[in-house]
Amino acid sequence: MLPIHNNSSSVSREQVTEAYLQAIGLIDERVAPYLGKATTRVLVQGAAKRLTITYPFLNCLVNRPYTALIPAIIHEQLGSITANELEEGLMALLDACFAGLRELTGDLIVPPLHDEVTNQLQQLQ
Amino acid sequence: MESSVQSKSQTVDIPIRPPNGLNAERLLALKGEMEYLNTIGKQFVAAFDRFQVHRALLAALKEIYSFSACCILLKGNPFDLFIIPCYPLNASFLESMIQRIASAANALDFPTVTAEQLTRSAYFDAPDELAQNRAQGELSSTTIGSCLNIPLTVEDRIIGILSLFDEKPGTFDANLLKLTTMIADYAAVALENVRLRERENALWRQAEFERMRLELIIGSMAEGLLITDTNGTIKSLNKSAEQLLAQAQTVLTSGVPLRRLAETSDIPWLPRLVEIIQQALSGKVVKGQELVAGKTDERVPLTLSISAAPLHEAGEFSLKPSGVVAVLNDITSSKQVERLKDDFVSVVSHELRTPLTAIKGYTQHLVRRAERRLHKLRASEPEHNHPEQHDLHSLAIIQSQTEHLERLVNDLLDLSQVQWGDIHLHYTTFQMKAMLENLVRSVQASAEQHLLMLEVVEEETTVTADQVRIEQVIGNILDNAVKYSPHGGQILVSLRKQAQTYHISVKDQGIGVSPEHFEHIFERFYRIQNTASQHYAGIGLGLYVAKAIIRRHGGHIWLESNPENGSTFHVSIPVVPPTQSAEQATA
Repeated sequence: MLPIHNNSSSVSREQVTEAYLQAIGLIDERVAPYLGKATTRVLVQGAAKRLTITYPFLNCLVNRPYTALIPAIIHEQLGSITANELEEGLMALLDACFAGLRELTGDLIVPPLHDEVTNQLQQLQ
Repeated sequence: MESSVQSKSQTVDIPIRPPNGLNAERLLALKGEMEYLNTIGKQFVAAFDRFQVHRALLAALKEIYSFSACCILLKGNPFDLFIIPCYPLNASFLESMIQRIASAANALDFPTVTAEQLTRSAYFDAPDELAQNRAQGELSSTTIGSCLNIPLTVEDRIIGILSLFDEKPGTFDANLLKLTTMIADYAAVALENVRLRERENALWRQAEFERMRLELIIGSMAEGLLITDTNGTIKSLNKSAEQLLAQAQTVLTSGVPLRRLAETSDIPWLPRLVEIIQQALSGKVVKGQELVAGKTDERVPLTLSISAAPLHEAGEFSLKPSGVVAVLNDITSSKQVERLKDDFVSVVSHELRTPLTAIKGYTQHLVRRAERRLHKLRASEPEHNHPEQHDLHSLAIIQSQTEHLERLVNDLLDLSQVQWGDIHLHYTTFQMKAMLENLVRSVQASAEQHLLMLEVVEEETTVTADQVRIEQVIGNILDNAVKYSPHGGQILVSLRKQAQTYHISVKDQGIGVSPEHFEHIFERFYRIQNTASQHYAGIGLGLYVAKAIIRRHGGHIWLESNPENGSTFHVSIPVVPPTQSAEQATA
């Protein structure tokens, strides 16, 4: 599981969203040469679908690719959600994506990618 | 598989000149990769069904890995799961494999699929030449050592999963992952092509089946079916249509527009058929047009009823039809029955006429005698109420009803003549005005509640026509005007001359006719069914016969509603009969 940022309350929801979308973008960038462009998109959609019961705000990722999301619009829909809740949900999404990736390729590409994503998230937050 | 495709690609020795700092070793490796991809690419391209794709896939994968089983899961309803195992495969291993495939499918957001569903739909494909044979006594493992699931992607669309399993751990290599994905991409495109080809074949078979079914239906139809193109050229005739044309002793040359055939052919009914087809080509639907296709000297010639409709290509937005579909029905037998019925009516009417004439004559005689006697008695005893007066009244009723019966019998006789075109006109030259005056006077005598008025502008009203028949028509219209004006009122008869035509109109203030009946009121036996008209006697023949008589004269009869109440009948009659005017023009 990816580490939760200790000081998440100090960051805004926009920053959290931006950071996680960039993390997904990094996964996409690394995975596409191995498994094709569509894989990350469907991994994110599949993960969002499974997590919607726990994190209803992830529903916005179910029917459209994450690349089509505009953070400003998401924030309008997330009126009552705190940055902490948002981060928790997005982190669960990332974890689910890595779990899905493990289902596909085992440990062939996940471990180094996981480290890279963790580093990026720590730098961004 | 064709040999040209199956064979390994020919290697051509091109002199290698290391460009851009690439060394010869790297170029050689690149050349080897290209040759490998070219070889497997050809195998996938040549694959014609999914099993050939499986063979090409296995052949390509076995070049880089050694594995226990390869599975292909394809999206669809239901899912297709093909398992290509290395025999013998342990049942637990198989179960674990399916479980892992289901998990990968769920991770890739496939529609919900469970391991149980996959187990039910799994299909084992075992090409012997590619299956790995275990060494004697070697037992298969129960657990999965290595697993690799690669999405099968076509144009960024995931159509399935390629899954590779091995009993040993660490079989699959990250360095070979890109190459494995490349092979999976080839397989995905080849499988998609197979799917599209299968779909195309299925659609083609379905279309062919529908075509044959339609052909069978059209061939089995009792009605004749004729289809033309946009030029009116016959493109298709079913068996019944061919039989009907054969009965009519007609051979229609194929490939020639019917209009041109009609110009050169001596088939008498062809122009009428062309007219019907042209009407349909102009976008109209023509229904139940009768066409006498047999010899006219036969008692009941072959008669066809033709309905035609414009034919529009499916999905075509053009208003112009691409052809016509016409249905031909042989109605000769119903015409025969009709003829028999009309003959019967004609005979019965004739037989009724003889006693009717006698009744009418003797009634007239009795009326005159009663009138004379009453006249004498009134002269001698003017104040006395004579019983002969009642006798005379009774005789007048008998006379009136006899005349009514005579008109009915005459209508029935006319029906038979009109029906079979036997209506003969006896032309004489007479004054239309005088004829109308007599008629108005006669009808007025028995219509005390009504006021009949005649309006004639012209002094000179000479006409050449069948006076008796014209009297019959106008008399019938006047009778109707009186009959359908139960509360009396004015009946205005007017005569005008327009160019070479006399226009007679009869306007009443009666119950009128609704516009929906205008088209049918001149049809035989047509009776308006509404509460206002149901109390009036009649058999619906008068106007049918009237129309036939007027048309025979070359004129027209029509009806219009009055804005306030009642209706107006219009009759136009040529001053000179059409045949005579033609003769005059020639002279």
